[in-house]
Amino acid sequence: MQSSNDYNRNRYHLGLWFTAPAIIVLLIVLAYPIAASLILSFLRVRFAGQGLDFEFYGFTNYADLLKNQLFREALFRSVYFTVVEVAGVIFLALIAALMLNHPLGRHAFFRVVLLVPWALSPVANAVLWKWIYNANYGILNQAIIGLGLTQENIIWLGSPWLALNMILLADVWKAVPFIALLILAGLQNIPSYLYKAARLDGANTWQQFVHVTLPGLKTTLVISIVLQSIWALKVFDLIYVLTKGSPADSTVLLNYLSWRETFSNLDVGYGAAIANVLFVLMFMLALVYIRALRPRRIKAKDG
Amino acid sequence: MPRYLTRFFIRFGLATFTLLSLGPVIWSVVTSLLPLSALTSRPPDLNPLNITLENYSLVLDSSRGLFSGLINSFIIATFTSAVGLVVGSMAAYALARLNLPGSNKLLLMILATQMFPGIVIAIPLFLVMSRTHLVDTHFGLIAVYLSFILPIVIWILKGFFESVPMELERAAAVDGASPIQTFRYIVLPISLPPLFATGVFAFIEAWNEFFFAIILTRINVKTASIAIAEFSGQYQTLYGQMLASAVLASVPVVALAIIFRRFILEGFVEGAIKA
Repeated sequence: MQSSNDYNRNRYHLGLWFTAPAIIVLLIVLAYPIAASLILSFLRVRFAGQGLDFEFYGFTNYADLLKNQLFREALFRSVYFTVVEVAGVIFLALIAALMLNHPLGRHAFFRVVLLVPWALSPVANAVLWKWIYNANYGILNQAIIGLGLTQENIIWLGSPWLALNMILLADVWKAVPFIALLILAGLQNIPSYLYKAARLDGANTWQQFVHVTLPGLKTTLVISIVLQSIWALKVFDLIYVLTKGSPADSTVLLNYLSWRETFSNLDVGYGAAIANVLFVLMFMLALVYIRALRPRRIKAKDG
Repeated sequence: MPRYLTRFFIRFGLATFTLLSLGPVIWSVVTSLLPLSALTSRPPDLNPLNITLENYSLVLDSSRGLFSGLINSFIIATFTSAVGLVVGSMAAYALARLNLPGSNKLLLMILATQMFPGIVIAIPLFLVMSRTHLVDTHFGLIAVYLSFILPIVIWILKGFFESVPMELERAAAVDGASPIQTFRYIVLPISLPPLFATGVFAFIEAWNEFFFAIILTRINVKTASIAIAEFSGQYQTLYGQMLASAVLASVPVVALAIIFRRFILEGFVEGAIKA
């Protein structure tokens, strides 16, 4: 027989032992590199023979960033890409989720339809769109020529804004399913008596949507917007496969730029500075996410 | 709007949605089964008599890197999800049930790590790993993959462990079981399905990863994703072969997602919107 004091002390010790491995792993592969990345951005790193040569560089990397036109363009394009991508994804996902929540759309088949693009590997997704967008043989050109919309092949990935928007389109296609699943889960958490009450008060479908569905989805929508913004800012695979930043660097976004400066141009400190800018943007979004999750927890405790 | 009209619009919408979601996937499967000559004729020659497995046999040729890529992806995804499950389930249980001081703060930090851009940690890890000769090794890639797998595993499983009835654990304690025995003989056995589902989820994420792989692999541990990207980067792109390799790399994870859809929908989707 053990006393309850012993038991609680055992639990506390077990808690320490159980969290220790995870904390050690995360310290090594997360906390250390994040700190090191911050330090690197204040250094000038040069490859000297076998090793690396570090030299304190102050804010020069960041000053260079602000002066660099490509960085400013990449920042602007990343913001454009994120805002438009997220708006498109949320809009389409909301429509899809509403349809799937309707009795006609409740069939398990549609859940499977959603899971296919989501589970597809991002690189497989990228080569798939590379083929669809192919100027000579791609199905997209064949389709619009077949429909008589144009006579000539359009080089989808050949001109600056068009290429960026075609990448955006492929990214939206890949991202809609998961957000639709999130919104669908949110829809199913709205108690049905709210709809009944609204109908008793004479609300039509649109009024029910505005006064019951949208308020009920508020937290889910905030979380979806934040998560999707984070994922849109990270876009890399599509750019790498579809354009490698071309034409004329017009599809270079922040994440891609940081990778290219670090691993192709070997300007490690400068690349780390770009990565940290991206980090700050995403961290602000992460704070919003955590805020959005919080009210529910307090409510759950009170209730 | 009359009821039949609403139903018509919803049916039409669902059909459009299905077509848009599956169309590109079906088209890539069709492409992978056709010879180059059929694909480059206009309009594409879709005669079913042309169907061939030639693209598949060509990409699986050992000199092309896809076969070893699939094996590397399998090894890396298996070990990442296995280690992630063992380490993550212990931490998740501690955070859910063992009254650790500051466990809420720790949890929020773990959640925030989900939102770091990979490039931030990739640069320093690359420098360290080059010096310790861990670049282009299975071990190195698995360790780095734990940086995003472990937080997801902890987050999903913590939600599950909290739903295990407290009474079960109290009953075990009354019977004289120590906390570790309670975890080992009471909590773990009834948690096998969610543990397995979380493992499947982690496997899919690790299998599909591309960004760290392109930075941290060279020749030995090229993953399937890298092999596919290499097909697309060649001077003359062989579309049939490129898509055959994309299909081969996608079939395992898409199949897993469909088979375990219930767990994925309940465990991860619900977990993301409920704290």
